[in-house]
Amino acid sequence: MDVAISTLLSPIILFFVLGMGAALMRSQMSVPEAFSKGLAIYLMMAIGLKGGIEMSKNPLTGEVALVLLGAVVLSFSIPLIAFTFLSLTTKLDRTNAAATAAHYGSISIVTFVAASEAVQLSGLVSSGHLVAAAALMETPAIITALFLAHKGAGSDAQVAGSESGELIREVLLNASVVVLVGALAIGWIAGDEGTQKVQPFFTDMFQGVLCLFLLDMGLNAGRGLRQGWRQLEPATIGFGIYMPLVSAMIAAALCLVLGMNAGDTALLMTLAASASYIAVPAAMRLALPKATPSIYLTLSLGVTFPFNVTLGIPIYIAIAKLVAGEG
Amino acid sequence: MHERLRIELIIERMAYKRAGRILEEAGMTGYTVIPALAGFGNGNRWSRDTDISSSSDMVIIISIGSEDRVHEALDEIRRLLGAHIGVVTTSPVSVLRPDRF
Repeated sequence: MDVAISTLLSPIILFFVLGMGAALMRSQMSVPEAFSKGLAIYLMMAIGLKGGIEMSKNPLTGEVALVLLGAVVLSFSIPLIAFTFLSLTTKLDRTNAAATAAHYGSISIVTFVAASEAVQLSGLVSSGHLVAAAALMETPAIITALFLAHKGAGSDAQVAGSESGELIREVLLNASVVVLVGALAIGWIAGDEGTQKVQPFFTDMFQGVLCLFLLDMGLNAGRGLRQGWRQLEPATIGFGIYMPLVSAMIAAALCLVLGMNAGDTALLMTLAASASYIAVPAAMRLALPKATPSIYLTLSLGVTFPFNVTLGIPIYIAIAKLVAGEG
Repeated sequence: MHERLRIELIIERMAYKRAGRILEEAGMTGYTVIPALAGFGNGNRWSRDTDISSSSDMVIIISIGSEDRVHEALDEIRRLLGAHIGVVTTSPVSVLRPDRF
């Protein structure tokens, strides 16, 4: 309980709450858009580099490969479950249900970063390969969602002006994937010694930058919720709360089978529970343009992200400790 | 001065390259893309400040051309707007150098 309270009262979460509260009260405060994108790139570089350095300390084993494979399977399969729930409990049509499901199979790297900090605060140990798992989980969900959207709907006529390969470029070469995978590889190649000179920039400043970024995320989440809540029926909002818990429990079962430690279990649960609001919305505008962005963006950013950052992460850490027998 | 048609297309940012290809394939000699800040339409408010993915941002594409090229582009733009969020208008304009359009 102490850990949960100290996570909730950490500056990172409190700045998020400040931003969200300010936006809900219609404050005009804003973080300049270009600056905010720069912060996002910094965070992805820092987390990728840190993961790569950790990975360089240990050889790649069969166990690690199994965890990475499990992460990919989670990303492919969670949209199937999310789509089923959405189809059974909400009035969303097939396209909107598939687009929304894609967000829940993919991941939020900021939620992962916040969870990494909370795991550290809890005194748990995590390994760098979970960053690789995060990168691998960005895109498989999009493929499942496209399959779900087009299954039974016949083949759509090609959208005017579209070009072959544009979706693959967006999915595989979006900023999140390039920066995260690139920084991971750089950290892995250079190792702890090789990155000594850049580590002050990426470690000492990390917490402060994360506070600034979460202030902006709070503003985004609050404004998104204020502008988009009318698009969401109660059952859809409910999905934004229970789906992360369902995904986290599936991930917990996988971690139990793979015998992962509590820190890694908490992080994989968080990855499974998080919903994308950067990579997938952009891919959906190209792949499923008839889906309504205000539904999936409001749900992912305005409902699931605040839930995960405030309540979800402490819950996942507590369950991870029980699953790994470190409680 | 010479008469030409001006196309103004307000469309979601993620689709602007598709719109650009249509204009190029119709033989339009140029276009300019301008970012939009915020707006309201179809019951939704949107703002550049609320979407970190920038996927729901809108842009304005302006292009000027001869009537036949503009109408050729409009046929495809109509198809594009069947899938993507956007509005298109045309208006007559006067240009100084007709050979450029």
